[in-house]
Amino acid sequence: MRKILCLGIIGAGIYVYSTLTDSKKRFIKELVRQIPFLVPRYFV
Amino acid sequence: MADYDVIVIGAGNGGVSSGALLAKQGRKVLVLEQSKSIGGCCSSFQKDGYTFDVGASIVEVIKPIELAFEKLGTTFQREVDLIECDPVMTIIDRDGSRLTYPRSIDKTAEAISAVSPSDGKRWYQFVKLMSEFTDVALNAFFTEPADSLTDMAKMFAKDPRFFKFIPLFIKSYQDIMEKYFKDERILKTMGYQSLYFGHPPAMIPGMFALIPYTEHMGVYYPRGGMIQIPEAFRRCGEKLGMQVRFNTLVKKVLVRNRKVEGVMLSDGTEITSTLVVSNINAKTLYLDLIGEEHLPGLVKTGIKSYKYSKGVPMIYVGLDYKPPLDSHHSLIAVTPQGVNDYWFNNVEKGILPENNFGLICWPTHADKSLAPEGHHVLNLIPEGFYHLDGTNWDEEKPRFIERTLKALDKFAIPGLMDHIKVLECTSPLDFERKLLLPEGSIYALQQDLPAAAAFRPNARSRAIKGLYLTGSSAHPGGGVPTTIASGYIASNLIEKYEQ
Repeated sequence: MRKILCLGIIGAGIYVYSTLTDSKKRFIKELVRQIPFLVPRYFV
Repeated sequence: MADYDVIVIGAGNGGVSSGALLAKQGRKVLVLEQSKSIGGCCSSFQKDGYTFDVGASIVEVIKPIELAFEKLGTTFQREVDLIECDPVMTIIDRDGSRLTYPRSIDKTAEAISAVSPSDGKRWYQFVKLMSEFTDVALNAFFTEPADSLTDMAKMFAKDPRFFKFIPLFIKSYQDIMEKYFKDERILKTMGYQSLYFGHPPAMIPGMFALIPYTEHMGVYYPRGGMIQIPEAFRRCGEKLGMQVRFNTLVKKVLVRNRKVEGVMLSDGTEITSTLVVSNINAKTLYLDLIGEEHLPGLVKTGIKSYKYSKGVPMIYVGLDYKPPLDSHHSLIAVTPQGVNDYWFNNVEKGILPENNFGLICWPTHADKSLAPEGHHVLNLIPEGFYHLDGTNWDEEKPRFIERTLKALDKFAIPGLMDHIKVLECTSPLDFERKLLLPEGSIYALQQDLPAAAAFRPNARSRAIKGLYLTGSSAHPGGGVPTTIASGYIASNLIEKYEQ
């Protein structure tokens, strides 16, 4: 049940992402790209 | 005994404002500037009787500046003769049509309604949202430190209305604009302003959509040129004992056991101080002047992860006629999506656009003393960037100037080409050489959400004791009022922590 729920959420996420405009996708990609740097940046 | 209580590196707005405010605290302050002039990007220069502004072209959202001068025991208006620019802007389309926005909210609504009645109605909704957000931002965001999550929590606690505006931080500038304005002719008047922050409308948080509103709170030009603002801080600081040395390049910040001990100049001279305030790019500061050997691993990773902000070219023109323009600022019309396309197809690929857009600044519209009688000055900010594919700015500059001026002559400023008496250009590469802005980055570092507030280099360094940061690298980021706010914040932190 839990697996189905997870797959459902991932599937819905992929569907929503695929409906976004190219600009929106780039905005999200750029945010995601910078997530690993948030902790180091906090200490600068 | 140290030579000075505080050494400030760089005499940009953040440097001179913090220097003056620290002198007001009774500290012995030395400001070191590598160039021969004050102000950095907010400066002016003269050629053949014309006065041009190096970069910054107006000042708006002046509350942080007023706070800084009040703390110095004076007022902004007493120190600088501010001329109000009204109308605030004219937007010129490629077919020659123009739309002018006066300062008045109601008259702007009329101007918008003449094009699109429904957008005219939504203008009031946009103003309502942005006026409240601007009030919150000025009250709790622009003048308070944002070094930690605690600081951020304090901001929210200081003005709980902040919570209401969280969507503005999650949505993009473009989302906000396209929510309130549907007519492409109106959207064309709201697209370019996102580049004031160095990012296209799709890539920058919606909070920056306040700019098309704040212009209506008042846009001002200092009589005598933009340099009058840093000059006023210098004057106030020098009255309080602050010293400014020009043509003095700092080569190293002296650090021992992660604590500052002073600076070393390019000629090898060492000047000692237990407090150093940096007004230079934070990457240059940490990686070159301090050195990686003094930085913890996380800080090294963090500082290297920032991208530089976008550079811009400037073209300065002295004219022997009155240019047929309507406002101090004129924008070449471009939709938010048009700016995105420029970013993705030109900036990211290093290809300068054929049909460029940008900002036309006409300072002699406000202040005739900047040019000989009957003559005028234009400071043009056409779009451009540092990295060019297969060429460089030294090669490209003459073609870029000619292409830009010819295009403007054709649809925006008829007669321009026949009336040029003085012509100068500063490319992003020239900005790097003259002002030591890496990659010509006028806003130092990227200004998107993951590089803002607590995730921007701290005003009070966590890595090096006694080190404070001001200018575009620090919160709240690039711009005239914001860099002065950074000086105000740093001086407050020093007052609090460095007795």
